[in-house]
Amino acid sequence: MVKNITIFTTTTCAYCPMVKKYLGAKGLQYDEVNLDKNPERQQEALAISGALTVPVTVITKHDDTREVVVGYNLAKLAPAVA
Amino acid sequence: MRGVQMADTDIPKHDVIIVGAGPAALSAAIYTTREDIDTLLFERGVPGGLAAITDWVDNYPGFPEGVAGLELASNLQKQAERFGAVIEFGEVLKIHDEGKWKRLETTSGDMLARAVLIATGSDYKKIGVPGEVEYYARGVHYCATCDGAFYRDKRLVVIGGGNSAVQESIFLTRFASHIDLLVRSTVKASEILQDDLQTYVDSGKITVHLNTATEEIVGEDGKVLHVIGKQHGKRVDFPTDGVFVFVGLKPNSEFLKDSDIELDHLHLVKSNDDLQTTMKGVFVAGDIHSGATMQIASAAGEGATAALKIREYLEGHKHPIQN
Repeated sequence: MVKNITIFTTTTCAYCPMVKKYLGAKGLQYDEVNLDKNPERQQEALAISGALTVPVTVITKHDDTREVVVGYNLAKLAPAVA
Repeated sequence: MRGVQMADTDIPKHDVIIVGAGPAALSAAIYTTREDIDTLLFERGVPGGLAAITDWVDNYPGFPEGVAGLELASNLQKQAERFGAVIEFGEVLKIHDEGKWKRLETTSGDMLARAVLIATGSDYKKIGVPGEVEYYARGVHYCATCDGAFYRDKRLVVIGGGNSAVQESIFLTRFASHIDLLVRSTVKASEILQDDLQTYVDSGKITVHLNTATEEIVGEDGKVLHVIGKQHGKRVDFPTDGVFVFVGLKPNSEFLKDSDIELDHLHLVKSNDDLQTTMKGVFVAGDIHSGATMQIASAAGEGATAALKIREYLEGHKHPIQN
């Protein structure tokens, strides 16, 4: 079960709205961290994902385990939020 | 015309399946759905394709001040969906000719279509040098609008000399402190882009290195440190924090390998004058079409033409104006 979801995005990234749209269609709430507006959180995104890219979706489960999906990758995102 | 059918078998049937959801595909879908032709699009990435990840589009008709690639893509999608186009996110793996029906193997199972439009476009090519794969997304990137923000006040190398390389270099100046643009031969971007580029060269924000082949991307501890280039036979080092690669386009036609659909020497799809490929009932439009100009406006126009040719094919006769 999903406890919360955070998506790291940028304003111009075309893949970020795709992730938001997918989660929205599933009725899932999420927090968005726009790295253009919050550049101080870039290191956090990098530390979590190991990648200098967006979108990065962080799914925290009820047992506090965490899954990280880098990019718009439905093959990984779908089971992670199921 | 007709909706999804589940007639003899459980395989979903559509009048038209469009492979891809870029400008050619979405334009075609606007035309087919407005004619009430049941249309399903298959997209493995993002609707709008490369246009969606392009910072700014200045040469698409109807936008006197230009338009953000993402906005153009989003509007094309909305317009197609307004008339009933459905976009399914998945991949078409193979197309089989079964006479009246074409059977598509997809990641969502098999589907049947009376006509198919291939509009898969192209992706950015890789350069194939050491370090490129190792530092992918950790210093080597192909999408400036996605990843540029990670390079605020950092040095960047951009590789390429065409429209995309110049356009995206200019976009990246909003983040980077300095950009070295490595061009294998000469800058081949349009004149207007070259004029824009000159402004950034004059201000010292971008340095253009002509006749510079990229040989290796070098890093340490998971970080890119410099790019090794070769200029007039001599090794040149470019210290950098990241590399963006725009060295041309690679057609998305792998799924057509070993099919009856003929490709040209560049792996683009061949067609007759009606945009029909060597498989009857399968059409092609946009960047994936042999001889394509790789322009968004051309792709959109050809998508519309393909839709009209598909209608003629489905109806079994030419449009009255051509009779």
